[in-house]
Amino acid sequence: MADVTNAPKIKKADEIGNGMSSREAKRRRRASVSAEDRSYLRRKALADKVWPFFRAVILIGLGFVIMYPLIYMISCAFRDRADMSDPTVMWIPRHYTFQVIAETIDAMDYWKTLGNTLLLNIGCSLVQVFSCAITGYGFARFKFKGSKLLFGVVIMMILVPPQVISLPLYTQFRYFGIRELFSINLIDSGLTMYLPAMTANGIRAGLMIYIFRQFFKGMPRELEDAAYIDGCGPFRTFVRVMLPNASAALLTVFLFSVVWYWNDYYVSSTFFTDTKTIALMLTNLDNELKMNLFDDPTVQISPRDQIVWKEAGCLLSIAPVLIMYVFLQKHFTEGIERSGIVG
Amino acid sequence: MYGYGFISLWLIGTVLFFLIPLGKSLWYSFCNVSVDPGSLNTEFKGMDNYFSVLSEDPYYTEYLGDVLLETLWKTPLILIFSLFIAVVLNQKFRGRTLARAIFFLPVIIATGPVFRIINGDMDSTGNAGAEQFSTMFSTDLVGELMQFLGIYGISDSVSNFISAVADNIFGIVWNSGIQIILFLAALQNIPSSAREAAQMEGATAWEYFWKITFPYVSPFILANLIFTVIDSFTNPMNSVMNRISAMRSQFDFGEASAMAWIYFVVVIIAIGLITAVMNRFIYYENN
Repeated sequence: MADVTNAPKIKKADEIGNGMSSREAKRRRRASVSAEDRSYLRRKALADKVWPFFRAVILIGLGFVIMYPLIYMISCAFRDRADMSDPTVMWIPRHYTFQVIAETIDAMDYWKTLGNTLLLNIGCSLVQVFSCAITGYGFARFKFKGSKLLFGVVIMMILVPPQVISLPLYTQFRYFGIRELFSINLIDSGLTMYLPAMTANGIRAGLMIYIFRQFFKGMPRELEDAAYIDGCGPFRTFVRVMLPNASAALLTVFLFSVVWYWNDYYVSSTFFTDTKTIALMLTNLDNELKMNLFDDPTVQISPRDQIVWKEAGCLLSIAPVLIMYVFLQKHFTEGIERSGIVG
Repeated sequence: MYGYGFISLWLIGTVLFFLIPLGKSLWYSFCNVSVDPGSLNTEFKGMDNYFSVLSEDPYYTEYLGDVLLETLWKTPLILIFSLFIAVVLNQKFRGRTLARAIFFLPVIIATGPVFRIINGDMDSTGNAGAEQFSTMFSTDLVGELMQFLGIYGISDSVSNFISAVADNIFGIVWNSGIQIILFLAALQNIPSSAREAAQMEGATAWEYFWKITFPYVSPFILANLIFTVIDSFTNPMNSVMNRISAMRSQFDFGEASAMAWIYFVVVIIAIGLITAVMNRFIYYENN
């Protein structure tokens, strides 16, 4: 045993250099930093220990505020109606049931509505992403007479709330055509959504044009110069060179567009009277429930009892976007950084 | 010339679906509009609609004031909150991906009717904002906390403000999704050389925030500010919007358009002012 303790320790590099013991080296090092630096280091060490704890508290607390409605939705959607007025039931239902969900699916005509909505949303978003990309590219790369003024119009599109123009737009679609020559009634047809989307004027199109303009401005000009030298015209350059390079941005904007169309009920409630979309069905859930469940439009359901169906409806209507979000989360959050809205 | 080619599609659409309706609604606001089956009749009557909206409508000016006031105090809170959360989410820790996913979740929900129902149901069951957490523990937590900190008695307006903020924490957290994403993107653009230099000089986290982070994200503060203001003004749930829709469903198109245009002008002025003021305080790296 004694041999072991007496055996010479392996010296650290600086000890070998200076011939000092480790304790002395530590003391020296401490003396070399000023009092100010020492207090800084001490504070930093303390902050490094305490901060993660605070961070966890803050994040969990606020995370709960965000998750609260979702947890509440799930808790309500699977409970029996009687549990709503049971004061001992807060979160965990006493009687589990799938009946409420089934009834809500029935009342919303869920699968058909879902199909309608998906078709409309994805179609419009696809068309709109491309029309906005083309427009954004035009504003980003070409200087032409009035381009500043026209871009001002794009900014106006962001600023003007849809409520301002919805009424004249309604008459526009009601009597679509050339005055005194022909006119068609487009109300209730999908074209009321597709036509604006095709011409980069759909929901939040101004914002999308703006994003694409910023994005294309940030791309290196060499890409296009190379294509021009190879004899491509501007349109072919755009399709063959710029669009493939913009695929990440296209995907992100597309996802946001789907979400915006999904959540829209103002525009669709203006133009659709009987076309069913998820958002419209959800806002009318009260009436649909009364019609389908009780066969009686005058029946009174107490607001407390309605909650189970409403929460079930909410759960059903966000489920598809939620699933999309879970799988494509990376594109939602990291895509924005790459989509150039930054620069 | 190719520029026109690229934007021609948009140009057609904008004239058809944006500029013409916009012009029409401006025209309606100066007219007495009556609806006959098959047509809208307009009869010019000058500024009458504007005068009657501003002086006679019982709700409009009040609602307008409410919306302006709410935007005024909520916007700074949303910005401070989202910047703070972005700084936190930019740090490295376990579970960061999950935390980010949760904090961005409002982005996909907060614009839709689901959010309206969430809000409404929470009101009808007495679960809204701070009260909701308080009723869970059956005490007035915010009040207790203020009492504990000794700030309850200082002044009514201060404690009112604090409980207003606590009551609205739900609204603030739920309206900060996009802002957090933008700030986070800005934070990730801070060059690592700046961070290393700050570390060499021994900057504290506090100094680092004010000397490095803040100048770098300042252009985004403006972008976020404008986004937040527009978002709050164009929110279909705010009371002015509801009033305009209500007038429209009564077929008072002339007055509804006048309301919309007054509102729109107020929004433009507000955003112009903000941009003018903020531009003086912003640091642009390239300039």
